Amino acid sequence: MSAVSARRGISEGTLAFFLGFGALVIFLLAVEGLIRAGLINRHIVPMPSQVFGAFERVVLEEDVAGRFRLTFIEALASGAMIAVVGIGSGMLLYRFELWRRATETWIAALASAPTVLMYPLFLVIFGRNAWTIIMMGFAAGVPAVTLKTIEGLVGTRRVFINVGRAFNLTPAQQFTKILLPAALPSIFVGLRLGLIFMLINIVGVEFLINFGGLGQLINDLAERYDLPGTYATIFFVVLVSVCFFVLTERVERWLRPGA
Amino acid sequence: MAETGSVTAPAPAGMSRFPANRVLALRICIIVAILAVWEATAASGLLYRDVVPSLGKIADALAALLSTPSYYWHLGVTAGEIGISLLIGGAAGLAVGILFGSHRLLGRAFEPYLYYLGPTPKIIFFPIMIMWFGVGPGSKIAMGVISCFFPVALSAAAGMREIDRVLIRVGRSFRASTWQMVMKIYLPAMRQPIVNGLRLGLGVAIIGTLLAETKLSNRGIGYLIIQAYSLFDMPKMYAMLIVLFVLSIGANALVGRIGRFDAAHRN
Amino acid sequence: MTNAGTGILIVDDIVKQFATPDGAVTAIDHISLSVKQGEFLAVIGPSGCGKSTLFNIVGGLVDGYGGKVTVAGDTVTGPHPSIGMVFQEDSAFPWRTVIDNVAFPLELKGIAKRERYARAQHFISMVGLDGFEKRYPSELSGGMRQRVAIARTLASEPKILLMDEPFAALDEQTRLLLGDKVLQIQQQLRQTTLIITHNITEAVQLADRVLVMTYRPGKVKRVIDIDLPRPRSSEIVSSEAFGRYVAQIWADLREEASRGMQDDEKLRAGGRP
Repeated sequence: MSAVSARRGISEGTLAFFLGFGALVIFLLAVEGLIRAGLINRHIVPMPSQVFGAFERVVLEEDVAGRFRLTFIEALASGAMIAVVGIGSGMLLYRFELWRRATETWIAALASAPTVLMYPLFLVIFGRNAWTIIMMGFAAGVPAVTLKTIEGLVGTRRVFINVGRAFNLTPAQQFTKILLPAALPSIFVGLRLGLIFMLINIVGVEFLINFGGLGQLINDLAERYDLPGTYATIFFVVLVSVCFFVLTERVERWLRPGA
Repeated sequence: MAETGSVTAPAPAGMSRFPANRVLALRICIIVAILAVWEATAASGLLYRDVVPSLGKIADALAALLSTPSYYWHLGVTAGEIGISLLIGGAAGLAVGILFGSHRLLGRAFEPYLYYLGPTPKIIFFPIMIMWFGVGPGSKIAMGVISCFFPVALSAAAGMREIDRVLIRVGRSFRASTWQMVMKIYLPAMRQPIVNGLRLGLGVAIIGTLLAETKLSNRGIGYLIIQAYSLFDMPKMYAMLIVLFVLSIGANALVGRIGRFDAAHRN
Repeated sequence: MTNAGTGILIVDDIVKQFATPDGAVTAIDHISLSVKQGEFLAVIGPSGCGKSTLFNIVGGLVDGYGGKVTVAGDTVTGPHPSIGMVFQEDSAFPWRTVIDNVAFPLELKGIAKRERYARAQHFISMVGLDGFEKRYPSELSGGMRQRVAIARTLASEPKILLMDEPFAALDEQTRLLLGDKVLQIQQQLRQTTLIITHNITEAVQLADRVLVMTYRPGKVKRVIDIDLPRPRSSEIVSSEAFGRYVAQIWADLREEASRGMQDDEKLRAGGRP
């Protein structure tokens, strides 16, 4: 605790929160003022008050809740696939060293490649429906999880493996009681990274193919030049990613209580 | 707050049960198998015509592409957009990241916004960018900038916090100015996280710029891709995707290698 | 003293070589020792003398050596259930609480939760970590984490307790106090213990006998009986007799340690040792 806040009895965390939030509020008020004064073109930057007004409209008329749910479900499906396939393939590649040495650099290259640009292809293969979106998210996120799973398993500290050997653990026990728990921190780093890539792709593809939940809504509103509505919907998109991160953090805390 | 790491290929280990030629043999087998399955799918007509064109057609399209001068012009446009956005976004991200990483209160106040805004797909801001920067390269560069700003800033902030405190105290004891601290202590000490952040930033800048080009542009690789798609010229589209993937993987590896070369040089 | 005698742990004429780019290096050159039931034996030697290799051989983590290790007549061919190992590095599982760490060997035996927690509690108290059962290793100091590792090994109730420089990462005061603790436990349980160390004070404080190893290739240089009264506490470090034992061991060690340093210098100058 800094000396100042300690005297006032506020924790540093609360102080930080108010500082950040306060700065945001001041910023919005300043923008509002500048627009009303004509110093910022109101057709390029909508007034924050208008954006707040748009919230109600967007929720009621544009069924934001339903779209939020759709995007969220797409992300959930994609995320589940990423977790299962990513962690599973990571474990397999850990077990089969030759395959790991052959493919690891390829997977790393894939992780950073712009897979989203294959969306026209996925469109043709899966059709203009949720599956294109889900598969694009999956393709984007899975390499990161595979790689980090491998990294976590391979990087298990030597001494833990030796403790397992000293206790005569069977290979299965060694894996479940030592390797896997030791690899969990890395696996979660990979999941977070994979989920970021996944979300970017899901909403992005919704926007591009004009189908789906929130991404499509933004596209619609933008084409109608409804700027306040667009900003309001962007807020909901941010909300999706917040939800996902909080969810992931909860799951991690449940699986790794000592973290 | 939990961190995201970077995804990098591991350094090759010294001792392996598997000699290099067995690994190479397996790789060749895998590639051959994939190509064989591809060709079989193409020939079988299983999928809607030309979604999986034969390898021969793709090779032809690739050859045609690489011998068209205008292709290189488009390549240059896109590369330029990405390069400029990496410069601007990277510098801004570094500055902000160093600021947030060095001041605990500022970091705790504002970093959460970066953290939660980061994973938002920046393509949704594109309509706004068009309003502000017009339909030309400006909006594409803007897309690249806001894409790569976040990973660089977050990596820099995390990197600042991980700098050995002792190094900072050494700098202070020599009464280094802020600029000197940044250039001579912070940046060298943070080389690895910054490089990782830049790699991630490069990746998302490429995606952001290209997507913007597919959405609304009349130049650049993204534009060419979507044009090929709308004409259903699949072999050409695949050819362009191949070149794109090769180049972006190469660029990523290059940035990573710069980081490692730096390290080897210093030690 | 180079012959294996009687005892519950018999190390019989161990020879171990390693392949290096410069040819075969002999780490251990015919070492024999025996530890009697309830005895505390310390093996001390300079860095590079092969004592960690000895630890790994006795613990069954390494094979490809000449000679034989037997525990209560049973030959060691891999990690033996009667030998409990405590490693030098931090080995408490960070993903388990203290009590889950200590109960680990009991869990492996299939003992039900209630009972294994009760048994683990006994060992947790023994190492003085009462009240920390539900904590995670990340919340504990280095010394406490080592105590968790020791308690975990003790919970498997091994015939032989084998420790490889367990206090190397700790500061001197913590080391002395923890040494006290280990002594107490050893005396209480009459635990047969073999400890590998490079710390002379520690060896004399804890052991009934100290075996001094030569520098590589490792042989037995001398075995010294420590005739200090039991029960001992860390106060003994200031006694005269203690000082004499330390001086005696140091005289032997210094010779070996300086040979080690000369080799290092030769290596650095680009030559071969």
